[in-house]
Amino acid sequence: MSDRLQDLTSTNTASGDNLSAGGRVPSIVTHRLTDHVLAAVPTIWLALFFLAPLGVTVAFSFGRSTFGGVVFDLTLDNYRNALSGFYGATFVRTLLFAASASALCIAVAYPVAYFLARRTRRRRGLAAGLILVPYFSSFLIRVMALHMLLSRDGLVEHVLNTLWLHSGPLDILDSQTAVFIGIVYAYLPITIVPLYVVLDRIPQPLLEASRDLGASRFKTFVFVTLPLSRPGIATSVLLTAVPMLGEMVIPRLLGGSKGVLLGQVLSAQYLQSQNYPLGSAMAVLILITIALIVTALARVTKGFSEVGP
Amino acid sequence: MTDKADFTASRLNRRSVLGLLGAAPAAAALAGTFGNSTPAKAATTGQLNIYSWPDYFSADTLAAYAKKTGVTPVITTYDSNETLFAKLNSPAGAGFDIVIPSSSWIAQLAGKGLLAELDHSRLNLASLDQDLLDRDYDPGNKYSIPKDWGLLGVVYDPEAVGGEIKTWEDFFKAGELPNVSGKVRLSDSGWETIGPALWLEGKNWNTATSDEIKAAAERVKAFAKHVKSFSSLDPNTVANGSIVLAETNQGTARAAIGLNPKLKWAVPGPFSELWVDNYAIAKNAANVDQAYDFLSFVLQPDIQLLETKYIGFPAAVAGLREKVGVDTPNADLIFGGKDLDFKKLTSFVVNPDTIDAYLQAQNEIQAAAG
Amino acid sequence: MSAAAAFHRSLGKRLVDAGLSLWFVAALVFLYAPIFAAIVYAFNLGVVNKQTAVITGWTLQWFPAAWNDLSLRRAVQASLVVSFWSALISVAIGSALGYAMVRHPQRAVRRFLSALTYTLLIVPETVIGVSLLMTYAVSGVPLGMASLIAGITPMAIAVVALIVRARVLTLDRRIEEAAADLGSTRLKTIRFIILPQILPAVMAGAVMAYTFSFDNLVVSAFLTTPQVNTLPVFLYGSLQYGPSPAVYAAAATVFLFTLLMLALAAQIHRWARRSTLPRSDEPQR
Repeated sequence: MSDRLQDLTSTNTASGDNLSAGGRVPSIVTHRLTDHVLAAVPTIWLALFFLAPLGVTVAFSFGRSTFGGVVFDLTLDNYRNALSGFYGATFVRTLLFAASASALCIAVAYPVAYFLARRTRRRRGLAAGLILVPYFSSFLIRVMALHMLLSRDGLVEHVLNTLWLHSGPLDILDSQTAVFIGIVYAYLPITIVPLYVVLDRIPQPLLEASRDLGASRFKTFVFVTLPLSRPGIATSVLLTAVPMLGEMVIPRLLGGSKGVLLGQVLSAQYLQSQNYPLGSAMAVLILITIALIVTALARVTKGFSEVGP
Repeated sequence: MTDKADFTASRLNRRSVLGLLGAAPAAAALAGTFGNSTPAKAATTGQLNIYSWPDYFSADTLAAYAKKTGVTPVITTYDSNETLFAKLNSPAGAGFDIVIPSSSWIAQLAGKGLLAELDHSRLNLASLDQDLLDRDYDPGNKYSIPKDWGLLGVVYDPEAVGGEIKTWEDFFKAGELPNVSGKVRLSDSGWETIGPALWLEGKNWNTATSDEIKAAAERVKAFAKHVKSFSSLDPNTVANGSIVLAETNQGTARAAIGLNPKLKWAVPGPFSELWVDNYAIAKNAANVDQAYDFLSFVLQPDIQLLETKYIGFPAAVAGLREKVGVDTPNADLIFGGKDLDFKKLTSFVVNPDTIDAYLQAQNEIQAAAG
Repeated sequence: MSAAAAFHRSLGKRLVDAGLSLWFVAALVFLYAPIFAAIVYAFNLGVVNKQTAVITGWTLQWFPAAWNDLSLRRAVQASLVVSFWSALISVAIGSALGYAMVRHPQRAVRRFLSALTYTLLIVPETVIGVSLLMTYAVSGVPLGMASLIAGITPMAIAVVALIVRARVLTLDRRIEEAAADLGSTRLKTIRFIILPQILPAVMAGAVMAYTFSFDNLVVSAFLTTPQVNTLPVFLYGSLQYGPSPAVYAAAATVFLFTLLMLALAAQIHRWARRSTLPRSDEPQR
């Protein structure tokens, strides 16, 4: 996924190894040992608390359900079920939802990131900090406050009425619009960061050169800035679309639980239908789909940008 | 910190590990795995963990109990019986003492071995409403003691609906009206949305086959486009007109009518639901004595009366109706209205063969509304 | 270039800048309005213990009410403990992972670690939560504080690892090589050369891991028990039927407390930096 970066670092490493191979054998041993420990500790931890659970899910996905229990088997029925009729349609609808919501997030976030990247260093830190502070308050409380702002007789209704943008009571809650507002609200900071990081790295002289060669501001943006920010866009898509595939809180709190999405259907298999094998098969299918999409995305955009401070 | 000790001394369930390793077709039945979770060893005295519906005990009662015994019950909440079952049926459910399942799920919970058999000698059942004892979902009250009961009905704005709602047919018709469509709330429980359609076809929701359930669900699915919400009903939304027609229980309806007196409540025919929520003690409860002590406390008639006024549902105590005085606003509504006909009420009982049809259809109905 | 064209250009630039500034301000209003609302609503009287969209009166009663609500208070305490340990573990393991992803001598290992980290990012939380619960069930591990903390860490580790990795990529390898040539062991190099350089990223990772753990709902919902119930799970339960304003009072207090701690941490960091770190670190980002 980040092949280019690895190729770069691997040449460095090779030369590094040659240097230290200059005669101090014990140093190489400790050298290796430290590096191996640094790699082994995360691997063991994640094997225990991440890979092993995924393995259990895969094993369960071939089992048979006994209403709240699992009998091991090697059946593909769960997969057949998970891809059939309603669930298949939900799968497609959720992918479309995630794609459009993610696109909306990027459309809102891009100008903000662009604005941030063009500030002077000092003010940039402050502005970026302002974007991130909301992240430190409870997500659920923010969504509930949003719910009250958007409700009948809420603040938004009064403001819109005062500004002559709307008249009468506002009935926006329990609709797809409210879900999209909530989604953009929840994911905006996490969308801005990767975009900001790549935009910040585009060398100013490059843009000036484009302008000097006669390109308009708009053309420079479309042909220079936008293509160069592709890795950032890819990372933003990754960070927003993937969690959206499992999203279930916002549709419930702001969308009246209508237009069921995959996240809800998946957790319903565990919490409602008590059909763990079917839920596991759905989870495995979701993972495969995401892996395919991410790989394709990485190809198209030539890697992901760093998610960093 | 006893949890930590348990964590390190992880006991591997041999049967399940073999099943995992072998994974041969139908090798090891793991059906029991989710059931036999160990009781938490935090059995220190002076603790009580209750798993309940949200806002189901008044703060006054809990404070009075804490004052009397020095134990403040810790309450965790769930939003559906299915969630209660799933949690109790997993290791995350070990450690609950008292749970409050509805009549519909008692048999399933007991069948899975998740509920303890009750010792009636430690509880005073004489003061309870005898009509609510020994019901068919738990003969002899082996596992459960009734807490309170409620109904499936409709709260609506008669102006918007343009008349009275007497049957579920009226309900579905009213929802299609231009100024009602898009302001309807349906239940998030499969049998409560499909039940009315089944009753209109003269079917019994407990004996309907999966195919009959699916057929009845088609009618509701066609109706779904008029629905605004399936989420839990906030009384404010009915009071302020965001929703003008809602399937709900009498407690929520009473709260909404308290905020906006022009709203009306009805229990439509030909049939509707009577549910009973019950106290039960979890099989692996660590604080059994404390649990009985708490149950004896809340089953006292004067506490039951207090609770009734707070939660808006009638507690299962004998002669309650006379005790709820005129000073309680809309007291009749607590009992489902003046002219409630109990012969037209039926209780749902979960059947593993058909429950999936209800739940699946509910998902499809909610999807069709989006 | 003619003067008119130059004027045209600067006008266009100013218009674009004004538009961007406006957009930025609108985004800030959008992001902050619910937070301010949540704080304001903590002082709302409400109707019979329930929050209402209309302000029905002002009161301070919800702050003591929140404190006296045992379940709520225990949830806040559990959340603080869970996120503290989760952040600590995630920072230690995530930093090692972020570093090894870039600097491990074997390419295959680096690739494996990267793949592992990205897999962590793409697995929906529901899947992680359910898988963990089933694994604990199958292996007979009783649930409690430790199992919940362990369950939250994988995603927090990925967050820390990515932040640290970004920083390690900017480090100058030659300094490490020089240190090795001068006889420094690998461990010493990491301790005295690398760690000081990546410290800002590690601290940023710690903050992100802490907030992520504190706010985690989906994984926690599956793993919480009566003894260990976290604030988001408690909130989600109470939100279903209209929460009490006390919940808002608790959330507002926790938010202000978090900001205070962050400001304090930033200030301490600034002092420490001024007194100990040499200037040589400055040119790098």
